Amino acid sequence: MSAKLKNRAETEEDQQAAPSYRDQLTKDDLLEMYRRMWLARLFDETLYDLKKKGRLRRGNVYGSRGQEAILVGTTYPLRAHDFVSPIHRDMPAFHFKGMPLEQVMAQVWGKATAPTRGKDSWSHMGDISLGLIHSTSMLGSTVPVACGAAWALKLDGKGDSVVLTYNGEGATATGAFHEGANFAGVHKLPLILVIENNQYAYSTPLELNVPTGRVADRAIGYGMPGIVVDGNDVLAVYDETYHAFERARRGDGPTLIECVTYRVQGHADHDETRARQYRPVEEIEEWEAKDPLPRFRNYLLGTGNFSEAELPEPPPEVVRQIHDAVEIAINSPDPEPATAMEDIYDESAGVSR
Amino acid sequence: MREMTYLEAIRTALWEEMERDSNVFVLGEDIARLGGAFGVTAGFRDRFGDDRVVDTPIAETAIVGAAVGAAALGKRPVAEMQFIDFISCGFDQVVNVAATFRYRSGGQVSMPIVVRGPSGGYVGGSLYHSQQFEAWFYHVPGLKIALPATAEDAYGLMKAAVRDNNPVLFYEHKFLYRRIKGNIPSPETDFIVPLGEASIPRKGDDLTIVTYGAMVHFALDAAKALEQENISVEVIDLRTIKPLDMKTVLESVRKTNRVMVLHEAPKTGGVGGDIAARIAEEAFMDLDAPIARVAARDSFVPFAEPLEKYVLPSVDEIIETARRLHKF
Ligand SMILES: Cc1ncc(C[n+]2csc(CCOP(=O)(O)OP(=O)(O)O)c2C)c(N)n1
Ligand SMILES: [Mg+2]
Repeated sequence: MSAKLKNRAETEEDQQAAPSYRDQLTKDDLLEMYRRMWLARLFDETLYDLKKKGRLRRGNVYGSRGQEAILVGTTYPLRAHDFVSPIHRDMPAFHFKGMPLEQVMAQVWGKATAPTRGKDSWSHMGDISLGLIHSTSMLGSTVPVACGAAWALKLDGKGDSVVLTYNGEGATATGAFHEGANFAGVHKLPLILVIENNQYAYSTPLELNVPTGRVADRAIGYGMPGIVVDGNDVLAVYDETYHAFERARRGDGPTLIECVTYRVQGHADHDETRARQYRPVEEIEEWEAKDPLPRFRNYLLGTGNFSEAELPEPPPEVVRQIHDAVEIAINSPDPEPATAMEDIYDESAGVSR
Repeated sequence: MREMTYLEAIRTALWEEMERDSNVFVLGEDIARLGGAFGVTAGFRDRFGDDRVVDTPIAETAIVGAAVGAAALGKRPVAEMQFIDFISCGFDQVVNVAATFRYRSGGQVSMPIVVRGPSGGYVGGSLYHSQQFEAWFYHVPGLKIALPATAEDAYGLMKAAVRDNNPVLFYEHKFLYRRIKGNIPSPETDFIVPLGEASIPRKGDDLTIVTYGAMVHFALDAAKALEQENISVEVIDLRTIKPLDMKTVLESVRKTNRVMVLHEAPKTGGVGGDIAARIAEEAFMDLDAPIARVAARDSFVPFAEPLEKYVLPSVDEIIETARRLHKF
């Protein structure tokens, strides 16, 4: 099912399609993946809605509508001791890697209970204890950091842990991305570079950031396999990610997985009008028809193992979960002003010997 | 005269410079198809075409570097940073490549580039969409730095920046983009604001506030409030900090004998420290009170409203400091 383009950097073993790891998934796994797809969808819809209604007054909402299959398919193989570094279009991934949803929401509202205690916004957060590595706004900058995390794991003899980063296709044009990817390739680090190729970087079309139109083509120069996968097919994404994990754990180094998808919304909530002007509306509609949610649902129904009733649209418990997390966040305390001066330095003693 | 916002004034200046000189071109992320994240170059692509209005990859090193290379061969590029914060990703090209070019070419090469973009806080932009780090570049010889406070100055300084033969960093304040308007002279007058000349938007006798950028408006608000208390404040808008118009500053200080230096950036290592030192060097005997500095606290610009407010300077803080200076 996964459309693949292979390159010369790959080993014989990699020439074959990724094994169907999905066959190992239980019915409960598949239901959980379905639930997560909906969680990502509702996360997005809810924040867009609350922004419009003025209940969320600060910050931009960068939606991941249409890209849910990537978020679910790439995080589902992750284990507790793996690391991931989500960026602006990956908010649900924080929750999938273990951050309580009300904490993610607290971050959106800049509350004292957020991981950053209101200091930073949106996806610029993390929790090392959960395997979530913090990012900044500077696109591409998570990749060098991920190299260092992978190196620390190596120094600690934790050869079984893998680091996964997300980047849009646009971010792959940055110097930081190239330097990090090359570093990872040189040192065969256990890194997975997930590229969310949603065809646009803000208003800039794919070919103005990636001259070949294929991000995976960059991989050959970094000495790693470059895989292209249908980013709207959650199980295809899952298979490829799992495969990349296996490579990394074997010590065979990094993999770049280009997930081909489309940004059906604007760049952020402020961009909805213009996003229907700087690109053809037919193109948007064409991709809306490829919505990964009904697609996954139809697949599941087609297996004959699921009834319609088992796959509600949306699952009511997910609706409640999002609603509750939002209410908790909104009712959480704002940070005390003077805390703005805390955490600039680590005031503890440091290492004495 | 044409009434326009600060943002429209910048757009108009750039447009007119591109009409005037075919060597002028603009490059940056999302500036052609979108017309820029804030719309500064809206409509440019239709008028000037893809060769002079360039949508670049997300690559600040390459954006600044390409501007440098084109300038070395006689072009006058204007590079947009989508937010000025991202200039950090092109830092090497700014400080090591652009700033030094003339020096290391033994005077052979001119470097007429402008690197412009939205800067500053007070909009909930958080750490990487709020910075006002002119001090990083203030330290570097070979650069010029403009930070307009009004629509007229934004227009006139942009024209001067495009025509200058040196690299100019142009800090637009996003808080001002659509909040303020001005009357812009018609193109036939060829109005420009020379780099290196401060203005005095308010005359006063009791104390001087030396500032630039959005803080000019804060200083003017404070001055108005202080008028009720019979404290007469002179406000100096530096307009460019490099070159720095110390002549205007010193004349004012010699008149009022009390001075506050105000900026939005953190106090430590800020431009205000240097200005204060220069005042102390040149006019120590004219001072009736210690030089005061009002600046952001030494932190980052945080996201949550109570935090951002706590870190960035406020009108109240300016008023209190002025009272203290006045009483001294
Ligand atoms: C170094 C840097 N330059 C510019 C920006 C401004 N910016 C934020 S998102 C964005 C577009 C990103 O496109 P892409 O990487 O394809 O990710 P997408 O938003 O499409 O998911 C840009 C230019 C930035 N954040 N960092
Ligand atoms: Mg993209």
